[in-house]
Amino acid sequence: MKKVIGVLLILACASTAVAAEGHLNVRTVVQKETVRLDDGGAVQTELVSADTVVPGENVFYTITFQNISEEPADNVVITNPIAESLTYLDGSAFGPGAEIRFSVDGGHTFAGLDELTVIEDGEERTATADDVTHIRWRMQEALAAGAQGVARFAAVLN
Amino acid sequence: MSPCGSAGSRFCRLPIFFALVALGSESLAAGTPAGTVIENTATVSFDVGGTPLSVDSNTTTLTVDERIDVTVTVQSPQVLVAANDTNRELLFTVTNTGNGTETFQLAIDSVIAGNDFDPVPAVPAIYFDTDGSGDFNVGDQAYTPGSNDPVLLADESVDVFLINDIPGTVLNGQIGRSELTATSATGTGAPGTEFAGQGDNGVDAIIGTTGGEAADLGEYLVSEVAVSVTKAQAVTDPFGGSEPLPGSTITYTITVEVTSTGTASTSVLSDAIPTFTTYVPNSMTLNGSPLTDAADADAGEFNTAGIPSVVVQLGDLTQTDGIQTIVFEVQID
Repeated sequence: MKKVIGVLLILACASTAVAAEGHLNVRTVVQKETVRLDDGGAVQTELVSADTVVPGENVFYTITFQNISEEPADNVVITNPIAESLTYLDGSAFGPGAEIRFSVDGGHTFAGLDELTVIEDGEERTATADDVTHIRWRMQEALAAGAQGVARFAAVLN
Repeated sequence: MSPCGSAGSRFCRLPIFFALVALGSESLAAGTPAGTVIENTATVSFDVGGTPLSVDSNTTTLTVDERIDVTVTVQSPQVLVAANDTNRELLFTVTNTGNGTETFQLAIDSVIAGNDFDPVPAVPAIYFDTDGSGDFNVGDQAYTPGSNDPVLLADESVDVFLINDIPGTVLNGQIGRSELTATSATGTGAPGTEFAGQGDNGVDAIIGTTGGEAADLGEYLVSEVAVSVTKAQAVTDPFGGSEPLPGSTITYTITVEVTSTGTASTSVLSDAIPTFTTYVPNSMTLNGSPLTDAADADAGEFNTAGIPSVVVQLGDLTQTDGIQTIVFEVQID
C-alpha cells in the first residue's frame, strides 16, 4: 500500500512544479548606489545594501542561484516581478548565458521588449521599460551540479 | 488625490486594468508614499531528470523613506501699481512635491537686490487664499508663523498671498519685487541630508533635490499713467449759422491722449448727453471711422440705460497710440 502512495506522489510532482530547496539555492539582494570621494578626491560609486529608498532613487537587484544537487538542472528560468512602485530601468537586465525576456501583462506573456505592445488610451503602442511587469532569464544551457549563475536588473522608485 | 480628479479623468472611463496602470505612473507625481514597503521575490524553475521543479528566493524588503521637497510658484503676472498704493497682493502656490505629509513655514522678503524699489510688507503680510478666489479678500486668513503653518499632504498645494504697500517715492516704470519662501519644518539641507525617524510613521526623512526649501519672486511695476482729455464743440443752426437754437446740431469732438509712460488699461471714454439735447443716431466716430450705436463688436455704444451716454472702449492705451479722437452729434430739443 505504501508503494502505491509513493507513486501517486511522484505523479503529483510531475504535473506541477514544487518547491525544491534541495536542488537550487536562490538568493536575492537589493542594493543602491552611494557616491563618495576617495582619498584622491575622485568620485567613487559603490553599491551598498539597501533597506530604505526614496522616490527617484535607483535600486539594483541581484539574484544568485546555485545548483546544490548532484544532478544538472535543465531549463533554468528565473522570473522576477517588478513591484508596482518601481519602474524597470531600460537595458539594465543582465544575465550571463541567459536569454532575457520581458512581460508587460503581469507575467502572462514574455518576449523581447521591442516585440511587445500595450494599449494606452485605446491605442496600441510599442512597450517601453516603463511598462515592464516581469523580467525572465532563460538559461541557455543546463546548470551543472555545483555551478552557479546570476541575474541582475535595476529599477527606479516612482 | 482622487484618480478621477480633473487630471486623471480621462482614465475613469477605461477598464480597471488601464486605470491601475495609470495610477502607477501618473497619479503619484510626488512619488511612492513614505512608508510603503516594497518586497521582491525571484522564482526559479528548472528540470531535474525531467521533473519540473521551482524554488523561490528569499524576499527582500525596501521601506520607502519620506523625501522632503517643496516648490513655490508665483501665480500673479507683473502687478501694476501706483505710488502710495496699499495692500497690493501677489499670489503664489506652495506645493508639497515630496512623498509624505509635511509642515511648511512661510516667510516674506521684500528687500530684493537688483530691483528699483522695496515694497513695504503689510502687517500681517502673508495670507492664505482661504476662499480660493485668487483675489485678496476680507475672508482670507492671515498666516501666523508657528500657529497655522500649512500642513500639506504629498502633492497637495496651498495658495498664498504676499501683501505689500507701495512707497510714495516710486517713479513710473520702476520695478519692486517681493519673495515668498516656504521651508520644511522637519529641516532643510543638501539633497540626501537625513533626518532619522522624522518622516511619516517614523521612517527616515531625506532632503530631496529642492533642499526642503523653495522661493519665488513676484513683481510690482509702477505704472502711473497721465491721460489728457479735451472736449470741443461746434454748433450748426438750421439757418446756416452757429447759434444754439432748438434744432441746432452740436458736434462734440473729444480727444484722449496718454501723455506719460505706462499703460492706461482698458480705457473707456464715457460722455453723458447734455440735458435738453438728443443724441443724433449713428453720429459717433472714432478716429474718423463710424461706430454703430448698438453694444456690439465695435468700440462704440450709445448707452440709454440711466443717463444717456456715448461710451467708447479705447482698450489699453499708451503714448505710442497717439491721440484718440471721438466725435458725435446731438440736437438741441
